[in-house]
Amino acid sequence: MGNKIEISGLEVHYGGKPALNRVSFDVHENEILGIIGPAQSGKTTLLKVINRTLEFVPEATLNGTVKLDGVDISTVSDVYGLRRRIGMVLPLPVGLPLSIYDNVAFAPRAAGIRSKSQLDELVERCLQQAALWDEVEDRLDTLGTKLSGGQQQRLTIARALSHEPEVLCLDEFSIAIDPVTTMRIEEVLKTLRKEMTILLVTNLVQQAKRLATRTAFFLNGDLIEIDSTDVIFSDTPTQQATYDYVNGTFG
Amino acid sequence: MNSMTTRAERKQKIVLQSIAFIILGIAFVGLWHELKDARATGGQPASEAILLSALSSLLNNLYIVLSMSLVAILFGIACAFYLEEWLPATNWIRRLIENLIAILTGIPSIAYGILAILIFFSYADTLKEAIEAFPLSENIEAIPSQIETTVFYAEALTFILMVMPLAIKKTQEALRSVATPIREAAYVLGASQWQVLTRQVVPIAFNRILAGGCRSMSRAFAMAALLVGIYTWHYTTEPGGMSGRFILFLSVALVLSIFSSTLIWVHGPDSAQHS
Repeated sequence: MGNKIEISGLEVHYGGKPALNRVSFDVHENEILGIIGPAQSGKTTLLKVINRTLEFVPEATLNGTVKLDGVDISTVSDVYGLRRRIGMVLPLPVGLPLSIYDNVAFAPRAAGIRSKSQLDELVERCLQQAALWDEVEDRLDTLGTKLSGGQQQRLTIARALSHEPEVLCLDEFSIAIDPVTTMRIEEVLKTLRKEMTILLVTNLVQQAKRLATRTAFFLNGDLIEIDSTDVIFSDTPTQQATYDYVNGTFG
Repeated sequence: MNSMTTRAERKQKIVLQSIAFIILGIAFVGLWHELKDARATGGQPASEAILLSALSSLLNNLYIVLSMSLVAILFGIACAFYLEEWLPATNWIRRLIENLIAILTGIPSIAYGILAILIFFSYADTLKEAIEAFPLSENIEAIPSQIETTVFYAEALTFILMVMPLAIKKTQEALRSVATPIREAAYVLGASQWQVLTRQVVPIAFNRILAGGCRSMSRAFAMAALLVGIYTWHYTTEPGGMSGRFILFLSVALVLSIFSSTLIWVHGPDSAQHS
């Protein structure tokens, strides 16, 4: 398997305060990389670097390189096109104040797709992938913000899939969803893995254990350990801190 | 964005408000002197009186007030978009303009009317000969075109000074009311800044921008009403036309103000936010 993303010597500071310290690792193609670690360990920052939304944080400074398919993303001139190659699901569901249909069709429209039949087909496929189609099939024109929290989160997943990304980043997607729905989405992720590379940031270590092929453990901006999930969750990971964290005896 | 005001911001606000009130005070003293002089001439109205009359005649025209304030408001909205969406919050030009706006919006509209008379008409002497050739008249046709032009520019400047800052401030507030997560959600979908603005921010903030525009226009009409009122009070003996205008302008100002509050009230300050 080739490398989808190559990160080397990545350093991020927020106004002098370090958020990521010289992090280097690769993300393989078509894998689910679980990223675990306590708060303030730089997980979300990492995702922001990858889709270049860190640029909206004025006080942030960045060193090091991130390559997507071998191309340094900081040299990509079409940043909007780059963001469309990377799907992003944020921790709290944000329904855009548009209809359910328009929510999902937002990104394809922004990319220039106008054909109604093409959009219809895309919206249905994405909603089905996000396990939401059956619940909203008959009310696609109601406001996305009127859905329940769990439904809205699935809507954001459908939205993230709507621009057919090569990399899907999920930032603690399950904190607003009930366990049953979480399971359904986890099943979806397993099938999506065949089509795309998935970065799964999660606070639930068990979720990483269930889904991830490899798992990275971050602590205070340092990458402590990255290895196959079996090793990370075994009794003998390389680092003691990893063992403590995944077994809940941290600190 | 955080709407809580910090201690430093409150302090700054107090300072700016004080400056505004000092300007108001100076304006009042100035107007009182001017009017005293005008009365002292006894029967022979001073040039200021003629100019005031010209101003009132111009203000008589509802369409002039309407179109002038509309231009000022639209320009103000455009400025607000530039300041809020394109300039970073730390930019010194943005901070300077925002501080100026805070001063200008803090000044009550009557002060602007008085300032218009005092500052922009202080060049009256140069036009004195032309003025003396014509009798005091409320009829706009009788006012020499030269004076009319001066009055027009003076009034336009006053409107820009008075209406535009308010329009800028209200529009900025409207744009800030669009929750950051909504913008972020659109950006991660690969939308450009222009697409985020036209497809998300403007539709959400539209009511508030409209309300801000109405509030600004209400202010313009309030000032117009006050100017007409001052004129009526001082220079006309017979009741009639002018006081009618005064009431008309005041009602328009009131209606616009109520409409603007209703817009915010009906749609709710939080309806734009994600709930």
